Amino acid sequence: MRKTADIVIIGGGISGVTIGYFLLKHGAKNVVLLERDYLTAGATGRCGAGIRQQWGAPLNCRMSQFSCEFFENAQDELDYAHGIEFHQGGYLMLATTENELEQTRKNVALQNSLGIASKMLSPEETKEIVPLLDTKKILAAAYHHKDGHLNPFHTTQAFANAFKRLGGEIYINTNVTGITTTQGKISGVDTEHGHIATTIVVNAAGGYSQAVAALAGVDLPLHSERHNILVTEPVEPMLSAMLMSFSLNFYCQQVPHGSFIMGRTCPDQPNDLRITADSSFLEAMAKTITDVLPSLKNLRILRQWAGLYNMSPDKHPIYDQIPQLPGFYLAAGFSGHGFMMAPATGLSMAELILGLEPTLPWKQLGFNRFQSGELLLESSVV
Amino acid sequence: MLEKTGVPTETQIDSAFPNETRLNEGPVAVIECFQPIPCNPCAMACPRQAILPFADINDVPVMDNDKCNGCGLCVMKCPGLAIIVVDINWSETKALIKLPYEFRPLPQKGQILHALDREGHPIANAEVINVIVPANKTPVISIAVDKDLIKKVRNICIPEDNDSIVCRCSDITVADIQSFIAQGYTSVDELKRITRLGMGACQGRTCIPLVMRELSTALKKPISELTSGTHRPIVKSMKLGDVAAYGGKS
Ligand SMILES: Cc1cc2nc3c(=O)[nH]c(=O)nc-3n(C[C@H](O)[C@H](O)[C@H](O)COP(=O)(O)OP(=O)(O)OC[C@H]3O[C@@H](n4cnc5c(N)ncnc54)[C@H](O)[C@@H]3O)c2cc1C
Ligand code: SF4
Ligand code: SF4
Repeated sequence: MRKTADIVIIGGGISGVTIGYFLLKHGAKNVVLLERDYLTAGATGRCGAGIRQQWGAPLNCRMSQFSCEFFENAQDELDYAHGIEFHQGGYLMLATTENELEQTRKNVALQNSLGIASKMLSPEETKEIVPLLDTKKILAAAYHHKDGHLNPFHTTQAFANAFKRLGGEIYINTNVTGITTTQGKISGVDTEHGHIATTIVVNAAGGYSQAVAALAGVDLPLHSERHNILVTEPVEPMLSAMLMSFSLNFYCQQVPHGSFIMGRTCPDQPNDLRITADSSFLEAMAKTITDVLPSLKNLRILRQWAGLYNMSPDKHPIYDQIPQLPGFYLAAGFSGHGFMMAPATGLSMAELILGLEPTLPWKQLGFNRFQSGELLLESSVV
Repeated sequence: MLEKTGVPTETQIDSAFPNETRLNEGPVAVIECFQPIPCNPCAMACPRQAILPFADINDVPVMDNDKCNGCGLCVMKCPGLAIIVVDINWSETKALIKLPYEFRPLPQKGQILHALDREGHPIANAEVINVIVPANKTPVISIAVDKDLIKKVRNICIPEDNDSIVCRCSDITVADIQSFIAQGYTSVDELKRITRLGMGACQGRTCIPLVMRELSTALKKPISELTSGTHRPIVKSMKLGDVAAYGGKS
């Protein structure tokens, strides 16, 4: 393993590889990425990989617009033969309460003002898009035809390959066990395979970012939460759009390969780092989904698993340098939507670290907001 | 070893072989059956009582090597495929091994194929000398291999193109797997995620052992040092409607 690097990224999820890629693209050199297990071992390999631009805060709209456009062109930009399976089958957000309907209308108006062509649909129009849907509880839905979902494994690999082509180095099966400092500044990382001297460390360890920060004695205002998800047997294509509803508490999609993937937020989840599967999720999920999509009742569940949401106080990520430890950067706290924002994460972190002019409003995502109390409000998070 | 991987230790293998004098005298059965299980067709099959009669059906077979003439009747009868016949002096340079072989297609006489070790790795080429297909019993294939391999070779593999499907649920071929291994996916979990192998209805029951063999060959690591990946609930697929109905009640 190499002994020195200009920049060391900790974490081989979608955030780590996008940050690495954009750093090199913007001229950084000697960038090394360290991953404890293998690429996508964390939340990235466990997520629904739903992509949407339908948000309730301008910041998120901008970030997700940029990311979505990036994904549309990713195959060319990243030159990845297999493709990332970006299925733009649309994304439906179902409203079932008056409050939710009101909020959804406001969000669509905001999105339209920012150039996102989402629109409101009546229950009948919604059913035209998803014939499987039982609309009895549904008041209306917001729909954006360019949203969808993609394959998180191939997307991560596409970034990783591009990163390596630009000269980046990835070490998998390499646990970071310590972060060293000299005179209050970053001086290197200890790994199970040796020490790497560096003045810049990027913590992109997802649900484990608190643990990684603790290696440098830094306490982060983040915690991790277990979220369950399941997959069914593959069947003929019958659900093109991704479906979600805050009030009904679920999201569901059919991936190109034919399987249905679905998840919901369960109460009383441990917020330590446990990711064992929870059988109570299975029952609640089955009940929710067979209410909304009754014809799925004969579909067989194959597997369930869980992953960590890394939660921040306002459910927005933190992109910043740790104020008390120069050279220690953080990109975490994605609160369950870090996959779709990943290209924005990569670009923003590269601009932040390299001191470049911001393309995106990432300055709002620093630690400052917690001191000043200017938390970012977002109505559209699970 | 045996319990975990199905591969006996060297000591166990040595104990199954007759001494050198007997080996040199002519063909002889070698029974690699080490665990007491309720099974005795071998003893029943031998017309010469070279496999000593069992006092109890759980006995492990014991041989009187001097009575054995290497006829191979026991080879085709053993349901555990635990018996081979070895003729060390079949030719100047080669030994003959008679192996039980359950797969189809059967090899052809004269065909050159891969001789496999106990873990399924190809370790040499072997010529097929004879193919016996008894009714309702296991076919017996005779192959010629280098003499020093008699304690190693235990199966054969008919060379085939890499288009064979390994994961039938997701149509993943040997070539796909080899290409991903070459790209640096070096564990079952990684291969699963990138290819979807093992994620279909069979939950990996058919393909994971085959994938582990490919990994073992490519990484030059024994299968015992590899892991078969994370096993996820649920154990058996269930209909969403059934789970929902159950959830409603509880
Ligand atoms: C069930 C579920 C569904 C989701 N659905 C969606 C969705 O539909 N859309 C969406 O946008 N987002 C979704 N998310 C969220 C999304 O998965 C995450 O926000 C995103 O993947 C985070 O990526 P990351 O790279 O920051 O973290 P991770 O993917 O968790 O990567 C962190 C990596 O750091 C490594 N690591 C940890 N500690 C160390 C160490 N000491 N040394 C070296 N490496 C270390 C880990 O092994 C891991 O690979 C979902 C999440 C879950 C759990
Ligand atoms: S090879 Fe023939 S003689 Fe020898 S043990 Fe088997 S059945 Fe008996
Ligand atoms: S028939 Fe085969 S498995 Fe059964 S006891 Fe004899 S050698 Fe062992």
